[in-house]
Amino acid sequence: MSNAISSKSAAGNWRTSPVLATTSRIIAAIFAGYGLAYASTMFLTVYLPLVRSDRVVFASLASFIVYVAAIVYAFAARSASRAWLVLVGLSLVLAAAALVAGDFGARR
Amino acid sequence: MSSAESTVKNKSLRQAMAGLHTWGGLLPSWLLFVILFGGSIACFDKELEVWMRPTLHPVGETSLTLDQVSAWVQKQAPKPPHAIWMRPPDERQPYWYAGYEPQNELEPFVSFTLDPQTGEVLPKTLGGNFWFTLHYNLFGGMLGMYIVAIAGMFMLVALVSGIIIHRRIFKDFFTLRPDANGQRAWLDAHNLFGVVGLPFHLLIAYTGLAIFVTFYMPAGLKVGYKGDIEKMFSEVQGQFGREELKRKTDHAASIDKLVLDAKRRWAASGEGGTETGWISVHHPGDKAAVVDIRRYDRSRVVDFQWIMSYDATTGAFLHEQKPYKPGYTAYAWLTNVHMAQFGGAIVRWLYLGLGLMGCAMVAGGLQVWLRKREAKGGWGVGFVRAMNGAVLGGLPIASLGLLYGNRLIPNTVNLRDHWEAYTFIGVWIAVALWAIARRNSGRVGRDLFSVAAVLALGLPALDVLTGQPGALSAAIARGDWRVPGIDLAIFAVGLLCAKLAWWPRVTKEAPVKVRAKRERRELAEESV
Repeated sequence: MSNAISSKSAAGNWRTSPVLATTSRIIAAIFAGYGLAYASTMFLTVYLPLVRSDRVVFASLASFIVYVAAIVYAFAARSASRAWLVLVGLSLVLAAAALVAGDFGARR
Repeated sequence: MSSAESTVKNKSLRQAMAGLHTWGGLLPSWLLFVILFGGSIACFDKELEVWMRPTLHPVGETSLTLDQVSAWVQKQAPKPPHAIWMRPPDERQPYWYAGYEPQNELEPFVSFTLDPQTGEVLPKTLGGNFWFTLHYNLFGGMLGMYIVAIAGMFMLVALVSGIIIHRRIFKDFFTLRPDANGQRAWLDAHNLFGVVGLPFHLLIAYTGLAIFVTFYMPAGLKVGYKGDIEKMFSEVQGQFGREELKRKTDHAASIDKLVLDAKRRWAASGEGGTETGWISVHHPGDKAAVVDIRRYDRSRVVDFQWIMSYDATTGAFLHEQKPYKPGYTAYAWLTNVHMAQFGGAIVRWLYLGLGLMGCAMVAGGLQVWLRKREAKGGWGVGFVRAMNGAVLGGLPIASLGLLYGNRLIPNTVNLRDHWEAYTFIGVWIAVALWAIARRNSGRVGRDLFSVAAVLALGLPALDVLTGQPGALSAAIARGDWRVPGIDLAIFAVGLLCAKLAWWPRVTKEAPVKVRAKRERRELAEESV
């Protein structure tokens, strides 16, 4: 099963090793996936058009859905590097947008 | 995109999801079984608690007052406690439950169970709470909570990837091929339990994670409240609290009178009743002590407790809890849907049934994994067989063992609850060693079903022998089926195990030619 997940290229070359690619996807799913869930929670806590307590609750509750979607994507993506790129890229964009707002997230 | 290209893409997506489902499902499956089984049994925690306390008198008026219990609990604490908590007897919990929170937050809550008539401390037992604690933190404190959360995430991912590979979800639902080879028959069983329980399993895994969301995903709290969790909770829950003054006082208002006042205030709203739930005193003995009286409203999912707070010294009314903020109401709804404290016995039975269906789904999935590799050969077969026997057989049998321990360890034994725990652990270790030693005998399943059958069929008899004489028939005469219901349910489980152990279905390998058309059908996931 595990080799079915990875690229079609032959093993041997570490760059195209199916074991390495799968390991890379697993790490991306767990860590980059959590990163995206964390960043999306920050983003929604700042920008949801609700009062503070509701923003925090809904942003936090949405995080598990984001995490599941990110994990599924890490394995569905065309390649492991693409999975990393999309998950980390999206996380950085969302986190940066939340940090730019400064104390705006802590408004009433 | 051409249709051929899109088919290839779909196929590779399903292949990727099949890998995720197979391995992401296998790894946490034994842990998930423990959590699902513990949670299912915990639906009847209070009933089991009563079963495990056979000296309890049948439901009756309590002769103790809150003031008496409060004074008694304060005397038990070596140092003035941070707070004391009391729960008067009610229909489901016919005993006083009370305890204190030590000043040091790291020390655990110390609790007592009191006979409602005599006020004596009941013999110690792990009680129905045992399965509840096993369910939510595996007796591992904070670390256990995180481990359970990780298993919950795995469960969500396994469910979602399972949906993707089980493409023809409605069409294949009616595919049952019990006479097919082992792997296919187990796959159909895994799918049946998975699909019937799917909405529940998605909901229960998600809401289970939601309960401790502030621990698992602190980002919202950090950004929105700069990490000030107390500020957030006082804002969303609308509760009252004040600091200790460190000035002692001997004077204390009567808590029983305060309860009457709280009931009068609740009654003014006209809905939700005036039954009391938990009553607490924070900083007892201090001038700033506060009595909080909570309502127990069983008529709705969200358990808004409408706390009435009073000055414990003067009895002055201080504050009434403000309604939850909408977001918090949503959160409370999700968490309370998980905890199933609403809706009465029907909801508890439904949750038990659906929870056990989850256990069956996990067991079926493990069998699919095994059969596939037994047929084609593969790595890890012995390990998975051993784990299946040790966990899927071990936990239910050890749970029965705990109930035996509860009835056979005399009430006079010191630290009786510890001995119950040793019984549970001992039985589990014995089953696990047996399952490991005999993993490749092909008989472990049948042997363990026999053991479970003997234990489960014998337990009602033990209950009759060791309980209060005539207690069961008196309960049935009163129309109170809680304790007899547990005996009957365990007896029924015993019959089922006996059937599986001693009269297994004889599997005949029919020749390929005469196989019915439905047996030749192939599920979408079998091709990936």
